[in-house]
Amino acid sequence: MDIIEHPPIVRLPGIPDHVTYTWLVMLILVGLAVVGSRRPELVPRGLQNFLEVVLEQFITLIDDVIGPDGRRYLPLIATLGLFVLVGNLVSLVPGFAGPTANLNTTAACALVVFVSYHWIGVRTQGVGAYLNHFSGPMPWSLGMIPIKLLMIPIETISHLARPLSLSLRLFGNMTGGHILLAIMFFLMGLDGLLGWALSGSAVGIVLGGLGSLITAVFTIGFIYPLKILVSFLQAFIFVMLTMLYIAGAIEHAEHGEHHAVPV
Amino acid sequence: MRRSLGLAAMAVLVSPALAWAADGATGGWVGPFAVIAAGIGMAVAAGLCGLGQGRAIASAVDAMGRQPGAAARIQTAMIIGLALIESLAIYVLVVAIILLFVQPIK
Repeated sequence: MDIIEHPPIVRLPGIPDHVTYTWLVMLILVGLAVVGSRRPELVPRGLQNFLEVVLEQFITLIDDVIGPDGRRYLPLIATLGLFVLVGNLVSLVPGFAGPTANLNTTAACALVVFVSYHWIGVRTQGVGAYLNHFSGPMPWSLGMIPIKLLMIPIETISHLARPLSLSLRLFGNMTGGHILLAIMFFLMGLDGLLGWALSGSAVGIVLGGLGSLITAVFTIGFIYPLKILVSFLQAFIFVMLTMLYIAGAIEHAEHGEHHAVPV
Repeated sequence: MRRSLGLAAMAVLVSPALAWAADGATGGWVGPFAVIAAGIGMAVAAGLCGLGQGRAIASAVDAMGRQPGAAARIQTAMIIGLALIESLAIYVLVVAIILLFVQPIK
């Protein structure tokens, strides 16, 4: 990837870039939390107010998707969501690398989701009832046994596909955006249109100058806001799918209504 | 006529591989084809993904127009659906990135 993407400016020797910038994200989040909750007031102001609003958004989402039982999982969901969001946004700062643009980070987050929603399902329903989920929503009877046996591998594969798609979606979105930005900056820069404008030829000055101006306006005015939007959207989707998986794991079979939980 | 066109297309497709093979420096002939495959695959994936997302958005906007009261819920469902459709194109992007940068098959 180094062919087109410049390595980040601040690097610690011997430590991979995504780990360095994961530490930066951790510093930002822990620092915000510590400063925001140092002197909690009944009527919040400033940073405390902001953080409470952010968490209230998470609580509203959880109430919508999981229901009132879901507030117990606020720490897991909000931590993942804030980590992914800040990780996405950090990668947009020029000269920084993004922790979420590396498959290792996103796979770690997705594995945490995978393990914890199974754990939550086993905790709330017991092992037998939870494993019963894997054979589909049909009641046990003699005629249903072949169908239920058929359902088991299908459900297993669909569960195994969840961490894969969860990690690849975030990684692919972030990396694709970074490659796009890198190519745009390369086009603008001294090796591209700007270099043509400075090379001295008359055509180059007109076309290169105009071209680099247009590319710069396009990148800063369109692609960067789009990337910020995508950062929020991907964090939202990560959190949303996490909540849907948890909701699917704690929902009781005897309710009858079987929500279609997406992969 | 058609046959000569086909031959010309074959020549265009194969010539980078031959040039590469003549170079002999990096060995294999898969590399140029991998670049072509990444480009074509990404193009097909992006186009069909756009088609699918367009259908999803069209019906979601239609539903929001009929029932503005349910707009928030429809929007949430639409965004999740869009993410799931988009992830299919993202898989192709990941495969293209692997073909271009990791180069598991030379």
